[in-house]
Amino acid sequence: MKTPFRLDEHPRRPQPPLAPPAADYFDKLPLRVMHRVRPAAEPAPLWGWFASLSAPLRTALASVVLLLTFVGSFWLTSRPGGLPAAGVARRANAAQALAAVPRAEAVQYLLSDAAPRVTLADLADTHVAERALTADFLPGTDAEIQAALDEQPSLDVYL
Amino acid sequence: MEDQDILLKFRDPASRNLAFNQLVRKYQSKVYWHVRKMVVDHADADDLTQDVFIKVWNHLENFRQDASLYTWIYRIATNECLNFLSSKRRKFFLPLNDVGAELTQKLEADEQLAGDEVELKLQKAILRLPDKQRLVFNLRYYDEMPYEQMAEVTGTSVGALKASYHHAVKKIEQYVNQETD
Repeated sequence: MKTPFRLDEHPRRPQPPLAPPAADYFDKLPLRVMHRVRPAAEPAPLWGWFASLSAPLRTALASVVLLLTFVGSFWLTSRPGGLPAAGVARRANAAQALAAVPRAEAVQYLLSDAAPRVTLADLADTHVAERALTADFLPGTDAEIQAALDEQPSLDVYL
Repeated sequence: MEDQDILLKFRDPASRNLAFNQLVRKYQSKVYWHVRKMVVDHADADDLTQDVFIKVWNHLENFRQDASLYTWIYRIATNECLNFLSSKRRKFFLPLNDVGAELTQKLEADEQLAGDEVELKLQKAILRLPDKQRLVFNLRYYDEMPYEQMAEVTGTSVGALKASYHHAVKKIEQYVNQETD
């Protein structure tokens, strides 16, 4: 009859019989561990102070910076003369200022020598905008104007 | 170098690297074999041993000396092992026995056990134990650690550890006897 196995009768080994690591494993291990801990031990000087903060504080600080970025960009875009909305605001201001000029004053300016000479392009614009203006502002009879228009290539005719 | 000297030198930035190097040299073999007994495979044991010492580096400054340095490092190593084994189970959706079977396969591939049938059965029986019970068994049977120190390492009462070890021995004897019949 076989004797039942009892652990306290079995020869005790200091280690389980597993293959030991390479002979120089324990000589090299400290160096390998030191290589892995050194980068963490010497943080970049610029961010050293940030890395030294606790994790919750770092998170809170990052959140505040993000919030300030949003507030700053909102403030810059919403103020008059600010970034992307500035062009639109300037155009609106110019249109308002032009509308405020009295009609008589504008006509006087156009008739004076200070105004640039009216060209055919102006004729086309004014014709589209207001048909009656051509008779008032262009120095010429209907026949002369018609003759000038007839001389233009067909693609440039706006009538 | 005594643990107290290591701790003093570690707190001084000028001698920190030297002190840590001494600490690794002093405890590396114990930590490695403690881990190796749990994970069996050398590559896993190597990774985990390095991870243990990196954690020691990161937290040694805050070590309050409530326990001895040796016990504290053992506790870190123990937690690393248990986390590794449970994450392995979660990662591959493995039941408890499958990790034991995988460890047994690694054990059978180990040339050191060739020809020793009873020892192989004993090791297989140990690997069939649940992780925490296997840990208790290893600390008591191989490391001959006192129960009081085991209680500090595992955070378990001495009574519970004695009961766990007793049950582990019974399970092992039962398994080896079944396999022999």
